Amino acid sequence: MINIQPYESPEYFVLILGLLLPIIIGLFYGKRLVNYETLFSLVFLVLTFGGDKWQQGVALIGYVLFELLVIFSYSKYRSKQNQTSVFVVAVLLAIAPLVVVKLTPLFSTNSSIIGFLGISYLTFKTVQMVMEMRDGAIKEFEPVLFVRFLLFFPTISSGPIDRFRRFKKDYQTAPDREKYLCMIDKAVKYLFLGFLYKFILGYFFGKILLPIVSHAALAHKMAFFHTGLSWPLVEYMYTYSMYLFFDFAGYSLFAIAISYLMGIESPMNFNQPFKSHNVKDFWNRWHMSLSFWFRDYVFMRFTFFLMKHKLIKNKLRISQVAYLANFLIMGFWHGVTWYYVLYGAFHAVAIIINDYWLRFKKTHNVPHNRWTEGLAIFTTFNVVCFSFLIFSGFLNTLWFK
Amino acid sequence: MNVNEIVLDILNGITETDFSKDMDEDIFTSGLVDSMATVELLLELQEKFGIDVPISEFNRDDWNTANKIIQRVESLQ
Amino acid sequence: MSVKKKLWNIFGPIITAGLLVFIAFFAANQFVSVNKATEKRAAVSLSSNVYKGSVIKSAALKDGYVPFFGSSELSRMDPFHPASMAQKYHRNYRPFLLGNPGTQSLSHLMQMQGMKSQIKNKKVVFIISPQWFTKQGQVPQAYNFYNSPIGTIKWIKSATNSSMTRYTAKRILAMNVSGNSGAIHQSLENLADGKKVTAMQKMQLNMSESGLTAEDKLFSAFVSGKNEAKISRDQAKLPKQYDFNKLTNTANHLAAQQSNDNPFGISNSFFKKRLAKGHKLEKLEGSQTEINYLQSPEYADFELILAQFAKWHVDPIFVITPVNQKWVQYTGLSDEMYQKSDQKIKYQLSSQGFNHVVDLSADGGKKYFMEDTIHLGWNGWLAMNQKVAPFLEQKQAQPKYQIQSRFISNQWQQAE
Repeated sequence: MINIQPYESPEYFVLILGLLLPIIIGLFYGKRLVNYETLFSLVFLVLTFGGDKWQQGVALIGYVLFELLVIFSYSKYRSKQNQTSVFVVAVLLAIAPLVVVKLTPLFSTNSSIIGFLGISYLTFKTVQMVMEMRDGAIKEFEPVLFVRFLLFFPTISSGPIDRFRRFKKDYQTAPDREKYLCMIDKAVKYLFLGFLYKFILGYFFGKILLPIVSHAALAHKMAFFHTGLSWPLVEYMYTYSMYLFFDFAGYSLFAIAISYLMGIESPMNFNQPFKSHNVKDFWNRWHMSLSFWFRDYVFMRFTFFLMKHKLIKNKLRISQVAYLANFLIMGFWHGVTWYYVLYGAFHAVAIIINDYWLRFKKTHNVPHNRWTEGLAIFTTFNVVCFSFLIFSGFLNTLWFK
Repeated sequence: MNVNEIVLDILNGITETDFSKDMDEDIFTSGLVDSMATVELLLELQEKFGIDVPISEFNRDDWNTANKIIQRVESLQ
Repeated sequence: MSVKKKLWNIFGPIITAGLLVFIAFFAANQFVSVNKATEKRAAVSLSSNVYKGSVIKSAALKDGYVPFFGSSELSRMDPFHPASMAQKYHRNYRPFLLGNPGTQSLSHLMQMQGMKSQIKNKKVVFIISPQWFTKQGQVPQAYNFYNSPIGTIKWIKSATNSSMTRYTAKRILAMNVSGNSGAIHQSLENLADGKKVTAMQKMQLNMSESGLTAEDKLFSAFVSGKNEAKISRDQAKLPKQYDFNKLTNTANHLAAQQSNDNPFGISNSFFKKRLAKGHKLEKLEGSQTEINYLQSPEYADFELILAQFAKWHVDPIFVITPVNQKWVQYTGLSDEMYQKSDQKIKYQLSSQGFNHVVDLSADGGKKYFMEDTIHLGWNGWLAMNQKVAPFLEQKQAQPKYQIQSRFISNQWQQAE
């Protein structure tokens, strides 16, 4: 049995675009070929989770059934009652598989048998359903649509994270020809931009430059009083940051392009993040579908809760506590290692400092011109790159291995 | 006070900016309203008008100017 | 705008670009041929593209170049380097250098598939470093760096089910190559399981092979001439007529100048760049007492090379390299272990009919023999040359090999 990993090889693109053709032609004539699309999605799910990865496939099926049960039960309950405790239990149940998968490495050298590629992204989608049911924004339980949303294969492995109601709107109709042509146009552009990002720039930074600078940085392990702080480490930091961006942004562009060809406008994931003027701005431009998810389902809900129940009086404190909670959860979500958690904490602190500065700017007369703007971009860029150095886990290798 | 005035008053209280001059100015892109301020806005609206806007229903594009907020409030009341 | 026009706006550029690429590749396949100047540059360039590719190597071998397989020592270029000597004294062969730091038996096995028809029934030089025979053997990262997709595809296409084939496929899979396509990976998995390569996989392999070959041709003109220039500067320093005594004098003279400021008698620049900085040297003192080259998967990988040579009737001469004796004493590397590993390699060679061996492993203490800690230089190159040149220039008897599969067994890999 063969196994093909998404967006990795030329064969994958030939295969996917070839098999997409009937869907594209259908949409061009204003028709959504639902049955063919189902078959097509199945084929790609089997290709991704079949072959020597069959265990992941089984885990995926188990996961979907479990989450269906959670959502079904909660929607039944929610149609009659609305207790906070039940809501909390439902959310906890929805994230339980992910928590198990993330905690397993702490206790065992093997990865969890219930894990599979993309489990964290699917969890974002399910938790979102529970929360919107709680708000009454989603009223019925639509199992078929939910499974389609969850397993929408262009974005299954690493996002972008779509929203159920948005997806449903796109999915239930076919775009008109004018609109669909526009989408194809964008899809083609994104595909080629993605090739440039992932296979040329990402490859250059990640596969060619990174091994060289990493080797050099490791050779300076004992530099600067045994801390390993050296120029090659600085080079590593920038190289890794570039690699991370181009690799991930390239992947995201592929996922979005394929979604567009299928008539689904999956949300954008990156908006020139290295042009950010401050850390707050950065999180509106970097891995946007994730940061907006956190904004809407963690940060805002948390502050809402704190304010409504007047748990903390001072508004500034509320936002600071919420930032900490928000980014620490994000850190843990990446994985339970010191560097991911520190990465979260670092961004929380950065955004809190950023907030103080924005407040200061509001009340004081701070000069504003293109030089100060340049300085802001430069500072933000370096703060962000430093956070990626933490994120990379390279310091772990440098110091503890 | 009518809806108009109350909404402007709330916005003024949160952002320390007077939006009465430009009721169509985008409150998000100007950076005056962030997620935190959004939550405050929702809570204030709940308190002053008794309308309940869950965060899920809060779509930034429908709430991004003083005029649009007034419109939404009136339709929800 | 009409729909047709819009569609053309979207897909026109892609179609045009596709056509241009197709034309470029077609043109490369039809019209690009490797010229003598490229061969001369490529032979000493040590470029990884030349190493991984197929076009330049095979063209050069047709023109009388002889493959010199090796690793890091090939880059230690001085006037006595085989490339320089062959040029100066107008030998009837020119070395084609294949090897870089990190290339060992397994990567050589794959890259030489690219010159299969040219290497058959020919003589080659194979420089073995006992340093390859570590506990880990071939380092996956290095393998990845020098991975040759063309060679791997050619190997897969000619593979038949045998214990050697299954073992080779398993070893390559263990290198976790990231640059190999899905078809390569899957067919290797089939071969490792003793299954056949499917027709579908074969078709995919053929497609990527022709793409890779066109790419190889297209880029064949871009080979750096830096080393070629160095060799021609170097060879000018050699005596006009070949005379071993004169050459030794020149070597001693040059070496004395270039290695006068360190206690190991090695190249000053190497010492300064790689050892003298910080506390490096101190830390290396006594650091190699535990090193053991006797147990290594490399013994089996090396056997794969031998089996391949036997199958193609290649007549190789093997050179086993020494370690700088002063360095051995400093780092505590065991002389006894080194000699034992040398014996083990030689046993593996002689018991299967490989009789041309230049064993320099005990010469690491000779004066000006090593350019640095573990690499030949000056007199070292001369000593090698003295044995290798006659082998290549004179007619040799047809070798008879008896390949024994026990040399890929785990027992042999671990035998002390």
